[in-house]
Amino acid sequence: MTFANDLCLALIKPFLSFSVLSKTYSMNWRRMYKRLVAGVCLTLVFAFSEKGAENYRSVRIPYKKYGYTDRQAAARLLDRFSFGARPGEVDAVVNMGINKWFEQQLAGDDADTAVTSRLAGFKTLDLDNETIVNTYLDGGQINRFGIKNGLPNGDTIQGDKKAYQERVRNLMQQMGLKPLQELQNELINQKIIRAAYSNNQLHEVLTDFWFNHFNVSLTKPQCQQFILTYERDAIRPYVTGNFSEMLLATAKHPAMLEFLDNASSVSDNNKLVNKKVEAVVQQQQAAQARKVQGLNENYAREIMELHTLGVDGGYTQADVTSVARALTGWSLRPLAKDAPARNLFEKGLQNNFGNRGFIVEKDFFFRADKHDDDPKTILGKDFPTNGGYKEGEEVITMLAKHPSTAQFIAKKIATRFVSDTPSVSLVNKMAETFRKTDGNIKAVLITMVNDREFWNQKSVREKVKSPFELAISAIRATNADVQQPVQVFNWVNKMGQKIYYYQAPTGFPDRASYWINTGALLNRMNFGLAFATQKIPGIKIDLASLNNNHEPESAEDALKVYSNIFLPERDHTENLKRLTTIVTDRSVVQKINDAAEKNKEAATPVAINNHSMISQVAGIIIGSPEFQRK
Amino acid sequence: MTNRRAFMKQGAMALFASGIVGGIPSFIARAADANKLFMPYKKKKVLVCIFQRGAMDGLMAVSPYTDPNLKQMRPTLFMSPAATEGKQFDLDGRFGLHPAFDALYPFFKEGRLAIVHGVGSPNNTRSHFDAQDYMESGTPFNKGTASGWLNRAVGLLGHDATPFRAVSITSALPRSLYGDNEAVAINNLQDFALQMKGNPIAPNMVAGSFEELYDQTTNKLLNRAGKESFDAMKMLNVNNIKNYQPTAGVVYPNSPLGNSLKQIAVLIKMDVGLEVAFAESGGWDTHFNQGAASGTFSRNAKDFSDSIAAFWKDMNAYQDDVTLMTMTEFGRTAAQNGTGGTDHGRASCAFIIGNDVAGGKVYNNIKSLAKEDLEDGRDLPVSIDFRASFSSVANNHLKINNNSVLFPDWDGYTLNLMKG
Repeated sequence: MTFANDLCLALIKPFLSFSVLSKTYSMNWRRMYKRLVAGVCLTLVFAFSEKGAENYRSVRIPYKKYGYTDRQAAARLLDRFSFGARPGEVDAVVNMGINKWFEQQLAGDDADTAVTSRLAGFKTLDLDNETIVNTYLDGGQINRFGIKNGLPNGDTIQGDKKAYQERVRNLMQQMGLKPLQELQNELINQKIIRAAYSNNQLHEVLTDFWFNHFNVSLTKPQCQQFILTYERDAIRPYVTGNFSEMLLATAKHPAMLEFLDNASSVSDNNKLVNKKVEAVVQQQQAAQARKVQGLNENYAREIMELHTLGVDGGYTQADVTSVARALTGWSLRPLAKDAPARNLFEKGLQNNFGNRGFIVEKDFFFRADKHDDDPKTILGKDFPTNGGYKEGEEVITMLAKHPSTAQFIAKKIATRFVSDTPSVSLVNKMAETFRKTDGNIKAVLITMVNDREFWNQKSVREKVKSPFELAISAIRATNADVQQPVQVFNWVNKMGQKIYYYQAPTGFPDRASYWINTGALLNRMNFGLAFATQKIPGIKIDLASLNNNHEPESAEDALKVYSNIFLPERDHTENLKRLTTIVTDRSVVQKINDAAEKNKEAATPVAINNHSMISQVAGIIIGSPEFQRK
Repeated sequence: MTNRRAFMKQGAMALFASGIVGGIPSFIARAADANKLFMPYKKKKVLVCIFQRGAMDGLMAVSPYTDPNLKQMRPTLFMSPAATEGKQFDLDGRFGLHPAFDALYPFFKEGRLAIVHGVGSPNNTRSHFDAQDYMESGTPFNKGTASGWLNRAVGLLGHDATPFRAVSITSALPRSLYGDNEAVAINNLQDFALQMKGNPIAPNMVAGSFEELYDQTTNKLLNRAGKESFDAMKMLNVNNIKNYQPTAGVVYPNSPLGNSLKQIAVLIKMDVGLEVAFAESGGWDTHFNQGAASGTFSRNAKDFSDSIAAFWKDMNAYQDDVTLMTMTEFGRTAAQNGTGGTDHGRASCAFIIGNDVAGGKVYNNIKSLAKEDLEDGRDLPVSIDFRASFSSVANNHLKINNNSVLFPDWDGYTLNLMKG
């Protein structure tokens, strides 16, 4: 184990001295985040304390100026800042007051009892990485577990695999261990439940947005145990906060450290390293050669290209290399209880690694013995020798505050919330706010929603929902009761968006042309039909109750009623005109009746009645082009 | 099986019967309008790619059996044409083909199978994820490349497309096909329909309603994709797929790869405009007891080669238009490990099959398996960049000549694996 050797080197130094642990290590971070969020919320209501933020003190959205009624404005805001309006929600927003609703969404501090009760049975949502790594075992761990407990090697079983799996499962159960899939299921399910039922809709939309911006993927085995805590600890607390803090939190989280390989990016330019011993170690490493040793530029490149400056943000290959060098040693502590380096790590922790610049902060571990001590120049700024951990932090802050970052992030937010091709002037205004407030996301959102372009009629209905947005908006529009969120996941995957599994660090592209193609579109229509006709197991809807249990008298009537419920404040005249001829076509009616007759004769008759007609009509609305747009 | 012309007849009747408007599919009409496709029904060249996930042991698939080091490093895994049990096919006096690939051996003899050996990525990562990612994006040192190489290949074809131009028989789009050009991921072609199963009421009403709605939407993208979806659905008449009969005598293995290749065959024979197809084959990560003449590797190899051979036979009159190539993220250690398997290594080998292929040859720059010739003293080094092999097929078979777009940041040589 290379890491054990590294630590060994660090520990055998004779000049070790003892001191207090890094304070932050023992801190309760979740509590701190909560405080932080609460703090930011207060900041919004009274005043932004950040420099230049005084202009964003309160929300006064000028929708009237741009010709919107209250209801229209509410519908538009719900389209873009939530996962879709629930029945009656437009009126609720109007009653609350448009500005107040938006402020509340920015604050995101609703108690959210519906979500709490739906998540009550979840076991993993509060766990830390260490518990997860030692409880929710991946395939390799399960295999090793089996061998350790005297079972044959899982990979060699040829005949009765099921019996073997059963034995492993039982044994794991006895010891309180679980397969990783259970963790991943809860990760996926919690996202679906929160998106569908949370009252803090904007926070859910933003969590989705920022996770995708800082994408990590369940497809990569090395980081798959950390995705849940990544979203929870490195994304969620910051979604309306300070960009720089979120960037740093993602940089230091095990998921990102593993996903883009920074955890294995190391340097020998280091005074702590005894080169002679190191050579021996390197030979051993080569013999094992599981990991590429040396500088790894992946994270350094992507933090500039994808997270901050953008591909045209004005950096060079030399900058990439220098940033990678500045981040050498940024790693994670050994989390598995049986990790070979674990004991050495614990020992090192007891004496603060001899006070030689090692940092342990929650699961983040700065390995001073693997950091490149030489001076560096990054984007024209000089970083002197022996910068240690602080050097990397300065680099990240510098990237967060770079003017290119303001521009890049502003454009990305505008693309998500306004249009696939936002105007330069809007992006410039948002970027200016970003710069003036040192990356205050809330302030940038306020600038956006106050701008003329947000209210431009041209951008209304011009965004196409992602498959996830489509499914969740259908659930919300119908007040559906989702008992099996995994069914939603499967459909969203079918429509082209396997959430948490996007392999590239770019995240899913945010443009209609990516989502809308032949196969995906048919599946959207099929989703609408299956959903509304209750063919998706574990999802219950009660269409009649949405219309106060008044049954529409005809297909035409049903079309009108449910179009207005599912798509408030949209113009349905054209749709109704076109569809009415089809749904009231005599031959169609005849066919319906024939089908009904046939089914009556069937052994288990399907209830053919108005309900079926209504659900069919609802399915058509959900699968229609209008419902794909937001 | 209907061919395109038969479909037009049948299809037109079906459309008439269901009261759905349309005659000639709009994407074909559009292509003809645009004068880009001179003959809309002209058969196109098709590239079929199979990704062997898990890293195939290239030294077991195609062994340089004359190298004494191999036998030494693989006491229980070594095979050769001279062996009594597990006799390999002798390819050229130096390389032997594992007997489980027996279905592919005739291709080699006939000169339709080229083997590229010592092929891999210049990035020496031994992580499955990273190596697959790099190979599929086609940029071995850049994770942030948004598109996959096959998607870029599609973009370079230079003519208009049908919705089925790029199809992956997988549940989610593979990294190779990420990108700006339309690509369809579908597990089962039978899903390509409006699913009215269990809905007793009026499928026509639903289909008619959707078609009408998408026809009138002001959103151009939805409008166009809607039209194409309905056209495509009609083209892929589900009954045709359900009742598909392969060429007489062809039996596909009932395995994931066999089923994937069968669906690709359906698409090719229906002339729906397929040009790039993608399928996966799993189970190559043989750390434990991989076996020699029999065992895990052998079973996998058998399924792999039988599936490909069935597909090829099924292609029948279409064989001239199809090239099939395989890829795997890396190879495995030259020496066997302590558990009768092999660990993650560097170079592996690839198979390229087609009538245009300059086959019957093992393309390689392999020196020896002596320790000093191995990478890190343990792995067959990469002596042919995977892009040298991929670009050869793309250039010759698909007539794509812009390698700087296909593989940005690469200026290596292109192998010459193809005739002409």
